[in-house]
Amino acid sequence: MSDKVNLTIDGVEIQAEPGSMIIQAAMDNEMYIPYLCYYPGMKPYGACRMCVVKAESPTPDGSYRALPGSPASCTTPISEGMRVETNTGDLVDLRKGIMELLISEHPHGCLNCHRIELCGPTDVCLRHVSVNDRCVTCPKNERCELKDTVRYMEMELTTPLTYNNRHLPLEVKDPYWDMDMNLCIVCSRCVRACDEVRGDQAITLKDRSGRSIIGTAAGTSLLESGCEFCGACIDVCPTGAIVERDYKWDKAVQKVATTCPHCPVGCQLDLDVNKRNKVVRSIPNRQAEANMGMACFKGKFGLDFVNNKNKLKKPMVRKNSELEEVTWPEALDFVASKLANHKNGDYALIASARGTNEDNFAAQKFARRVMKSNNVNVSSNSRPKLVDSLQDLIGDDCASNKIWELLDSQVILLVSANITEEQNVASVPIKQAVAKGAKLIVIDQRETELTRYATKWIRPLINSEPILIGGILRSIVDQSLEDHDFATEKCKGYDEFRNSLWDFDLVKVSERTGISQEEIREMAQIFANTEASSILYGLETISDTHIDDTVKSLVNLSLITGNLGKNSGGIYPLFSGANQQGSRDVGCVPNLLPGHRPTASPGIDLTEISEACSSGAIKALHLIGDELFHNTANRSEFLDKIKATNLLIVHESFASDVTDIADVVLPSALFTEKTGTYTNMEGRIHRLRPALGPVGDEDEDWRILSQIAARLGSEDLPYSSSNDVLIEITNEVETYKTLEADSLDSQGHIRKPILNSSYVFSPIEFTQREELLVDDQYPMVFAPGRVLFDADRDAGIVTENDLNTITRREIIEMNEEDANKAGISEGDVIKILGEKFELTGNAHLNGLHSGMVATTTLFGTLIESLNNSTEPDPMAKIEGLRLCKVRVEKG
Amino acid sequence: MTADKDKLRTRIQQAIQSQKRPTVTVLSSLLAIQDSMGYIPEEAIEEVAVHSNTSINSVFGVASFYPNFRFTPPGEHSVEVCWGPTCHLKGATEILESVLEKLGLDSEGDTGDGKVSFRFNTCLGACSQAPVISVDHELYGNAKPDIVSNLLGSLYEKENLH
Repeated sequence: MSDKVNLTIDGVEIQAEPGSMIIQAAMDNEMYIPYLCYYPGMKPYGACRMCVVKAESPTPDGSYRALPGSPASCTTPISEGMRVETNTGDLVDLRKGIMELLISEHPHGCLNCHRIELCGPTDVCLRHVSVNDRCVTCPKNERCELKDTVRYMEMELTTPLTYNNRHLPLEVKDPYWDMDMNLCIVCSRCVRACDEVRGDQAITLKDRSGRSIIGTAAGTSLLESGCEFCGACIDVCPTGAIVERDYKWDKAVQKVATTCPHCPVGCQLDLDVNKRNKVVRSIPNRQAEANMGMACFKGKFGLDFVNNKNKLKKPMVRKNSELEEVTWPEALDFVASKLANHKNGDYALIASARGTNEDNFAAQKFARRVMKSNNVNVSSNSRPKLVDSLQDLIGDDCASNKIWELLDSQVILLVSANITEEQNVASVPIKQAVAKGAKLIVIDQRETELTRYATKWIRPLINSEPILIGGILRSIVDQSLEDHDFATEKCKGYDEFRNSLWDFDLVKVSERTGISQEEIREMAQIFANTEASSILYGLETISDTHIDDTVKSLVNLSLITGNLGKNSGGIYPLFSGANQQGSRDVGCVPNLLPGHRPTASPGIDLTEISEACSSGAIKALHLIGDELFHNTANRSEFLDKIKATNLLIVHESFASDVTDIADVVLPSALFTEKTGTYTNMEGRIHRLRPALGPVGDEDEDWRILSQIAARLGSEDLPYSSSNDVLIEITNEVETYKTLEADSLDSQGHIRKPILNSSYVFSPIEFTQREELLVDDQYPMVFAPGRVLFDADRDAGIVTENDLNTITRREIIEMNEEDANKAGISEGDVIKILGEKFELTGNAHLNGLHSGMVATTTLFGTLIESLNNSTEPDPMAKIEGLRLCKVRVEKG
Repeated sequence: MTADKDKLRTRIQQAIQSQKRPTVTVLSSLLAIQDSMGYIPEEAIEEVAVHSNTSINSVFGVASFYPNFRFTPPGEHSVEVCWGPTCHLKGATEILESVLEKLGLDSEGDTGDGKVSFRFNTCLGACSQAPVISVDHELYGNAKPDIVSNLLGSLYEKENLH
């Protein structure tokens, strides 16, 4: 490429990207310059001075002018014709001197012990150094960047060297995270990762000069300092100063690259497996395009369930009302003999959102071909309307653009999604975009982390979102901000849609939504007046009956501004379920066959299945995984309803309230025991690789199903490996045709969408207001919010059982008129009573809409409860922030 | 207790709002608070974070960088001994020793009863009268160890008169 810069490093002529720093140019050309504070992807910092070089650049008269001193290569940009020396005798000496200073406060018995080459992990230390200097006492032993650098430099250190021990107390009271600042070399990578990359600033560089050290404000707990427990600081730490608490000292004997099963971002993780067949650590992959080296609290600290000893190991069949362990053939024979009587449509199968494409393809084929029933679904598909219209109007049902394209969006509209907790890593590019100057509009009744970053945070009346977006659309047309060429040339139905907007008089819209006309006009201007605007929607606070209208309005908004099909524009549906997208692609939904082909007689949806179980229309229910309805109030209702079935088959990995009532329990393999593929929210197909060997007789779901099918006399599932299933998928699913299973790496493979030849506008309607949520007993709607930190208010941190705990007085936001009617004034202690919960706090009367109450809790409280949970997999069962009906009483 | 805290926060907010310079920064806000209250309470870190739309950690990072910011309320009286070169040559060490002895301190800090905050000062700008000691920002030049006990004693007496 001609636009590259030519330079010479150590006599080797190389080419590099213009604007890059010397160290980056060297790295891109596979040359190594020692460094400690530099980290790829973060801004140049120049703290450690390890990467010093000599450099000279050409002058117009043909001679060379040396850069003064020994510049740090991580902060010195390259220039055409530059000559760089990285390893002269002077530089090596200088570097050694710098390293000696750096480690003058780091115990370095571990760095320079002459036995390092000889010592095995279990050898008794022959006391060359004092106990707290020994390498085995450091959690980062064998993966310490500082040690690697010292050894690369062949430092001649005499043992033992004296060093200045800081004698700082260990910080081990926060969940998941241990900090030993005596090992810190103050490179401040963690502070920069937290600030630059994650946008959190949960840790900082405290104090100055010789006492400078990493920590939180006034030494407070991470629980209230704004930490999202993503572990980014741990991943970048070059020493053992910040580490994961669980399995802190365990060494990896194997690293397995796989996909996180917690959400549809599909983070690529490298799992460390120790010699006792346990996953001890997860480290996000920096090269992966889905997560770019990021993870979240779930992917970093929420995978320990795979090591749980209480995993189900043997198939069980209920005999005389007790579950008894049986052999696989016995269990399968039993299931097959029972299922043989249910081939007349009274059978339903609900697959797991964590099932691989292979599992869920096999599941739908089993239900449709073997059991002759279209009642097949995936547990996360509780709100199919979220994407149905998207497919009709655009032609594809997943995000139109890649997650990290959000970085270059100029305006991002986020509608009702708590993305920090549900699809965490997707919030990282949003926060980075905002830091670069992008505008963020959040439409949500709840206060979430991203409302803090929002240019505009709009809290419309409940279920008025479709009207609000209709108002924005109308305002765009009124102000002539539309992309007329795009709307008329690339889309169909523009005129009809435009005519439907005349109903959306801004006065009416404003009245119906509770949002002023100026705000609506301003949002229209912000959204339409840019090169590229993105829309993300989760619609978590919107009732099912309004979801479809909202989605259509949002698609209209993306079309009328000409954003669809643009880089960094587009529309992103935010659903839950790690493989929700893949399940839809392979036809594990009632209304679609593999490859999104509509079926003539669609099966019934999840709620209808549970109804049909209690009414007797469904007599045999096949559940894979137990996540169904876990995060809604309907869980116990659902359990009651499915008790009425004659046959309940459950594939599960852990005993749960569902296995308690099952007739047959088949032990199902965990994601770490599976081979297969997941498809993430951008349509990227990722590979799952087995990290752990089986501990019992658990098996993969596709194999269990194919064995049952064989026993039922069917030859429809003739698979002997998951690859056989994948081959069939690539043949049947048009969008997967280009997938080459063997070459799937951490980049994944973006499935090829089949877009409509032209996009379609849909006319919208000004619907009447319906009060769906409330009743006489509970007349108010409660909007629970959760944020990372809340500096306006005091949060006390107390230590209980050696763990930090938050104590805090909650503030309940209320409308003034509502409060007056109830005789409540500012600061009064009031109580919110819901059907299943109660919350006490002080009233705060602000501009909230009448009929609503809201409160904002700390994310730290959630982390605390997850850390204390005894559930096998608490991170998969976090209750979302759902609106619910309540009444308010004086406390 | 809560009312006290609210009052504290009001005072902090007043200090932040009272800044008249066009460039209000984290640092200027911290200075305004220290000028008004004599120290930076924990709540001030939070208020400045809200005011400047940043995190408490970043504000604390700035505040803790400067040794002149203090995080605990100062004593009722301030005593400073100059140990700049001139004062040092003219006998500041003896002054220092007698002050420390009188206050019962080993080094810089506050007395246990919260009456006096003692600090070293590198130059009080009155070298011609070295050695210099400052009590409640009033300078006493040509100081001798024996006047120290009078000066400090009077602090406690003034207190008793009230």
